[in-house]
Amino acid sequence: MQEPTTKPVVEVKNVWKIFGDRAEEAMAAVQNENIGKAEVLERFECVVGVRDVSLDVYAGEVFCIMGLSGSGKSTLVRHINRLIEPTHGNISIDGVDVGGLGPEDLRIMRADKIGMVFQNMALLPHRSVRDNIAFALELRNVDAFTRSELANKVIETVSLQGYGDRMPSELSGGMQQRVGLARALAADPDILLMDEPFSALDPLIRRGLQDEFLALSKTMNKTTLFITHDLDEAIRMGSRIAIMKDGAIVQVGTPEDIVTNPADDYVADFVQGISKLKLVFAHTVMVPVEQYEKENKKLGSLKNCPTAGPEDDLDRLVSLAVDQDNPVVIMDNDAPVGVVTKDALLRAIQGEQ
Amino acid sequence: MTEDTQTPFHDFAGAAGDYYAKTFLKIQKSTLGKAHINIAATIGSFIWASMRGNWLLFWIGFFIDLVALVYIGASYKFKTAAINVADEIVSLTAAGNSAAASNKTLLLERYENWTGSNFLTAIVIFIIGRLVFGWLADRIYYRQYNSWRVDRSKNSNLRVNRLVLSAVIVALIAPLMLYRSTQFAPDARTCIKQDRAVTEGKDVSFKNRFDCKVISDFPTLFWIDRPDKISYPRAEDGTRFVKREPQTGKKPINLHTYTSGVIENVVGYLTAFYGYFFDGVVGVLTVLLNAVTAIFVGTPWPIMMGGLLVLSYYLAGPRIAIFVGSSLVYLALFGFWQTAMETMSLVAAATCVCILFGLPLGVWVGKSDLGRAIVTPILDIMQTIPSFVYLLPAVAFFGIGVVPGILATVIFAMPPMVRLTSLGIQHVPESTKEAALAYGANPRQLLTKVELPLALPSIMAGVNQVVMMSLSMVVVAALIGAGGMGFLVTRALANSNTGKGVLAGIGIALLAMMIDRVVQKASKASQQ
Repeated sequence: MQEPTTKPVVEVKNVWKIFGDRAEEAMAAVQNENIGKAEVLERFECVVGVRDVSLDVYAGEVFCIMGLSGSGKSTLVRHINRLIEPTHGNISIDGVDVGGLGPEDLRIMRADKIGMVFQNMALLPHRSVRDNIAFALELRNVDAFTRSELANKVIETVSLQGYGDRMPSELSGGMQQRVGLARALAADPDILLMDEPFSALDPLIRRGLQDEFLALSKTMNKTTLFITHDLDEAIRMGSRIAIMKDGAIVQVGTPEDIVTNPADDYVADFVQGISKLKLVFAHTVMVPVEQYEKENKKLGSLKNCPTAGPEDDLDRLVSLAVDQDNPVVIMDNDAPVGVVTKDALLRAIQGEQ
Repeated sequence: MTEDTQTPFHDFAGAAGDYYAKTFLKIQKSTLGKAHINIAATIGSFIWASMRGNWLLFWIGFFIDLVALVYIGASYKFKTAAINVADEIVSLTAAGNSAAASNKTLLLERYENWTGSNFLTAIVIFIIGRLVFGWLADRIYYRQYNSWRVDRSKNSNLRVNRLVLSAVIVALIAPLMLYRSTQFAPDARTCIKQDRAVTEGKDVSFKNRFDCKVISDFPTLFWIDRPDKISYPRAEDGTRFVKREPQTGKKPINLHTYTSGVIENVVGYLTAFYGYFFDGVVGVLTVLLNAVTAIFVGTPWPIMMGGLLVLSYYLAGPRIAIFVGSSLVYLALFGFWQTAMETMSLVAAATCVCILFGLPLGVWVGKSDLGRAIVTPILDIMQTIPSFVYLLPAVAFFGIGVVPGILATVIFAMPPMVRLTSLGIQHVPESTKEAALAYGANPRQLLTKVELPLALPSIMAGVNQVVMMSLSMVVVAALIGAGGMGFLVTRALANSNTGKGVLAGIGIALLAMMIDRVVQKASKASQQ
């Protein structure tokens, strides 16, 4: 998990997006009269896509934006490379205001700094895999030789060796999405925008690609904005997660924050079905030794008890407790600090603490 | 049979509810007799229909009775005419003019015949029509019941007040139709003469005026003074000038003649003063045509034939190459080689021009709302106009010959190019374009690297259409001197020379088929 370092790479400040012919009027009304989404639709026939979103994404982190369809997550991410112009607010990348860029500078920024992966791959059907991957380079007028050199390198990165000369239609969905990923990586951008990249794939392939992407992002250290409608995926992938609803951000936090401390009922509803095994740690479920001894018998000799550290997750505690009658003792610096009984463990897995 | 299934029928039909409940139930059970007829409807016809509130049946019934009425009127018309002719014969024989009298006797016989046949037709139409109406009545009325079930505000029940509307309709239509059928309508010339007589203040009977204004052709409502006669002669220094000759003192003309005169003046003005533009177009096209003709006609036939065979083999494979080969042999054996090559060069030239203008236009239409708003209606009109009509402006501005033929062809064959190009451009997935933009494509790169390649299948379909439409139009353009295979057909038609016409027709068909096959195969292959 990356800790926020000095300056954010992507900075989103109070961004609003209102769709419709009368967006400006609607925006003014929203600011002056503080009217809601329904009223904007009724009075101005405009749809609020993104509502006052502010975000900071730091170098090297995988920042997940999670929300149901229509929650504005795809719209929001398209503001970052200005495929969509905000109605109000600023986006800056490395301190440069994206909204202030001229058409040519914007194209350069898109080509050099940002790679984007789409849910439906959006590959060019008339080009080979290699030419698809080299597309961004071709747009920057990189010569053909360098292009294919770079493309070959990325083909290896996403383990598509031998498929460079195939056409996209010959590849399976998972392979095609690898091509999409390779295309985003080819120009070696600092930032990756991933718009539900794995949503259209079947679960097994999705899982494989998720693992591969996690491994890749660890070695390549790219700042990633990862859009998903699947909380499991967000928790797997994200160093931090933002949950969106109706265009606004409901909660931002680490996966554990979100799961253990949902900001409101909406988030709580989502989190309910999530497996806590990897998200909840010993220190949150343990009972202090004194309290345990007061309620039960003395611990006595610790030799018969399995031991774990306070940062171990439930998954580990379960494997320790499974063929034991004794509770798990949590040790910090060689001193017992707490006890997790089997009952407590089962409750914790269920989500009640 | 429970109460429930019966009540809606009764609610709907009102009067005679039992009868309709029984009939509709039979329709629902598919047990209605094939010859089932509604007696009340057969007798009441459109009166019954209007009271039942079924206007479809009203119009059917009214139409049947009206047709029968018109035949009776016609019978009456010929009967009175026959009496008049008989009187004339009596007076002619009395005057001793037996030749004229025997002529009139023929006319009398004919009128008497028509009197009988019209009357008989009227009876037959009336009886059969009523029976058909009675047969249709319940079946159509049942549909009204079904739509009434969904929307209870639809007409139901039997209401006498609905007769008011139907009476108004009948009163507006029937008398005039009946009057028209009993009168010989005056012809247009008689009416124009009568119109002039009225303007000159002469006395014309009301019946004659009425006949001309109402039962003859749509009347010419106003008369316009002739426009100045305009010509564009050259002055002594060679420049043209406008010469107007006022047409005072001549009889006024109607709107049609006036407007056609104005159009001719405008065309004359444009050709006289902007002739260099039309000459320029002719010049450019001539250069293009010469180049293409040099290839098709100028190449000796062994090379050309071999070349076409190899090309079709390469583009479309062996089977089509065999077809092309045998078609070429047909053309050669029947002496069409040179003419066929002329036609090919016309098609090629027209296709080139169509692609040259149609492709950018199609891109514009595909990408811009303004372009779509401007061009789409024009294309709609261009595709509705019969191909012959294109020959007119071509002749008006460019005279007679090959170049106007090509121009007419281009106008005729361009729409599919524009349409299919714009269709292809519009159908490029939004997400693919978005991806290209996200990787920093500029508008030109977006067009050349994404949109045009993805639209290519559609564009190639457009080219195929253009080729086929050019070929059909080039044949028609032979009427204004474009030459080629079409000329053979038009000449055969003019001389009613069936054999030659058939041979040339087959030649054109083979030419069309072989171009179509090759272009289709080639465009399919290019997509893979």
